[in-house]
Amino acid sequence: MGQEFVLLVSASIFCVGTVGFIIRKNPLIMFMSIELMLNSVNFLLVAYSSFLNSLDGQIFALFIITVAAAEVVVGLAIILTIFRTRHEMDVDHIDVLKG
Amino acid sequence: MFASSWLILLFPLLGFIGLSWYGNRISRNLVGLVGCGTIGASFFMTLVTLSNLLFLPPEERVGHVQTLYQWVSAGSFKLDVAILVDPLSVFMFLIVTGVGFVIHVYSVGYMHDDPEYSRFFAYLNLFIFSMLVLVAAADFFFLIVGWALVGLASYLLIGFWREKTSAVLAARKAFVMNVIGDVGMVIAALVIFETFGTLNFADVFASAPGMFRPNDDSMLLITLLLLVGAFAKSAQLPLHTWLPDAMEGPTPVSALIHAATMVTAGVYLVARCHVLYELAPYTMYLIAGVGIITAIFAGSMAMFQYDIKRVIAYSTMSQLGYMFLAMGIGVYSLGMFHLMTHAFFKALLFMAAGSVIHSLDGEQDLRKMGGLQSVMPLTHATFLIGALALAGIPLTSGYFSKEAIILSSYHADMGNIVFWAIAVLTAGMTAFYISRVYLFTFFGRLRSPAAHPHESPMIMIIPLLVLAVLALLGGVLGPWVDSFLAPVFGHVAYHPHDNALESIALVVGIGGIATAGLLYMVSKERLDLFKEALAPLYDLLFHKYYVDEIYDYLIVRPTKAIGTFLEQKAEREGIDFTVDQVGLQIKEVSHGISLWQSGKVRSYALNMIVGVVTILLFVVFM
Repeated sequence: MGQEFVLLVSASIFCVGTVGFIIRKNPLIMFMSIELMLNSVNFLLVAYSSFLNSLDGQIFALFIITVAAAEVVVGLAIILTIFRTRHEMDVDHIDVLKG
Repeated sequence: MFASSWLILLFPLLGFIGLSWYGNRISRNLVGLVGCGTIGASFFMTLVTLSNLLFLPPEERVGHVQTLYQWVSAGSFKLDVAILVDPLSVFMFLIVTGVGFVIHVYSVGYMHDDPEYSRFFAYLNLFIFSMLVLVAAADFFFLIVGWALVGLASYLLIGFWREKTSAVLAARKAFVMNVIGDVGMVIAALVIFETFGTLNFADVFASAPGMFRPNDDSMLLITLLLLVGAFAKSAQLPLHTWLPDAMEGPTPVSALIHAATMVTAGVYLVARCHVLYELAPYTMYLIAGVGIITAIFAGSMAMFQYDIKRVIAYSTMSQLGYMFLAMGIGVYSLGMFHLMTHAFFKALLFMAAGSVIHSLDGEQDLRKMGGLQSVMPLTHATFLIGALALAGIPLTSGYFSKEAIILSSYHADMGNIVFWAIAVLTAGMTAFYISRVYLFTFFGRLRSPAAHPHESPMIMIIPLLVLAVLALLGGVLGPWVDSFLAPVFGHVAYHPHDNALESIALVVGIGGIATAGLLYMVSKERLDLFKEALAPLYDLLFHKYYVDEIYDYLIVRPTKAIGTFLEQKAEREGIDFTVDQVGLQIKEVSHGISLWQSGKVRSYALNMIVGVVTILLFVVFM
């Protein structure tokens, strides 16, 4: 496995996540897209950790996963509350902070 | 040895504080007792201080400064809380607390039915305290503090009946006029500090003669600025219009403040600063000139007024004019002597007039009085004594003091025949108007049938009797006043004797009385003839030379017009418009910007990505 391959895979996953975040209206799916973006970076970190014979990247990846888990807890709670109060899940309709 | 003199100031202050806080919770009798008792105690302490002073040989009596503590110390500038004990200040203490005490006792009777009895006595005590601060000041700073406090107390007391619009307006007028004077005083103090580096009386007066020659610019400036304050407080031209209006206050207030004490502050100021004034002979001429012009101006205005208190108020202005004349021609102790006798007989006249007003249920119009001679014998007798003293009939106190000033106006170094002639003419007018008031009030028949006049209670009559004795016999104190004040002024006033001039003045005075008698007692027709013959002059005098109207046209109306213009144009269309437009425009712009914030998460994300990609492209390819 060459470095180009790893970079290519990571970039592809990141792009999939980005495009998914922009085109989907369901907040759950958008959340998953964010996770994809995060994990593409994690993938890169782990791969380079093995290329460079250093554990730093893997430890960093562990931290990111931890933070992401915490973030998911908060995010899902928000999404749940929004659904309970508004009975719909379209992010385009959630624009209370419009100027 | 004068440590106890602090108590003179302390008692009225305690009285004021006590009556303000507890006045409504204690009985009326106790209020009266506290109000009078504090001033009585203060008078007693003044007597103690006086006796201490008299034990010293005359040359050691000046310049005793009792320092309580140092209040400010900033570099070379030091300010002590201190009082000055010397013959001049003790002399003023005696008048303020002595006459003040008598008037307080009188007020117990006069204000007996007033619902706000305790407030009145609290204000009176505040006034006495302020006046004592003014007189006791050992530097220009505390002089100004006392000066302003006295103005405040006068404002509160003139407007005491606050439900009367005219009283409130009169109080405001008095305050504004006095503030004009205060501004002059403050600027004078600043100039003095700039020139001498200190505000202390002793230091300033000691160094002034060595630093300046007579009529140096800075001496003229300082004395003229001080004079603005003196003229405003003592109701001299052109700042006199507040004094007649101040008669809206209760009569004891007129007697205490606008006859005996506050209005004499200007005279006291000139006497206190005589060292500076002697270095400015031009200012001295101005003082004498303004004094004598005010004397005749006010005397002539008093001749045809119908409000009993206003006549006496104009008379006060006129007599203050005499005092300023005495100051201007350098016979200070004669001026102070006249200040004292005037305090006696003018307070007496006001309080006797108050007794008349009291018995007629507040009627002040001379045309509705008359025939009170038999109903109020004691008031009549005391008013007569006051009137005789004011008219300068021989052997009364007013004769000694006024005659001495009139003679000096010719014989003193700075006197001349013009001063003398006007002074004599004014004396004739004085005799005329006070006789007129006397005849109107006590002779003929009562012209308001509804009234039931009665003699006033003893608590009002006894103060009248005390002052009547002083007004009658106060003249014998003349030589004592001269020698007592001599250490302050540095010389004993020169007493000229000139039988010819004295007889002329006396004849003019008796002529004034005779004219009033002829016009108002003998025949009504003659009065009407007289009025018709002199109609324009009569109108001019009756309308007080139209000074109020002139001020209205020259100052009040233009000021109001400018104010209206500024309010309508400058403020609404200038300042308000600009401020409003700044706010509105910012609101518009921010509304436009706020449209960027769509609230749509996905468009934010797209914007972010476009931005990041743009920056990346820029970094990679440029």
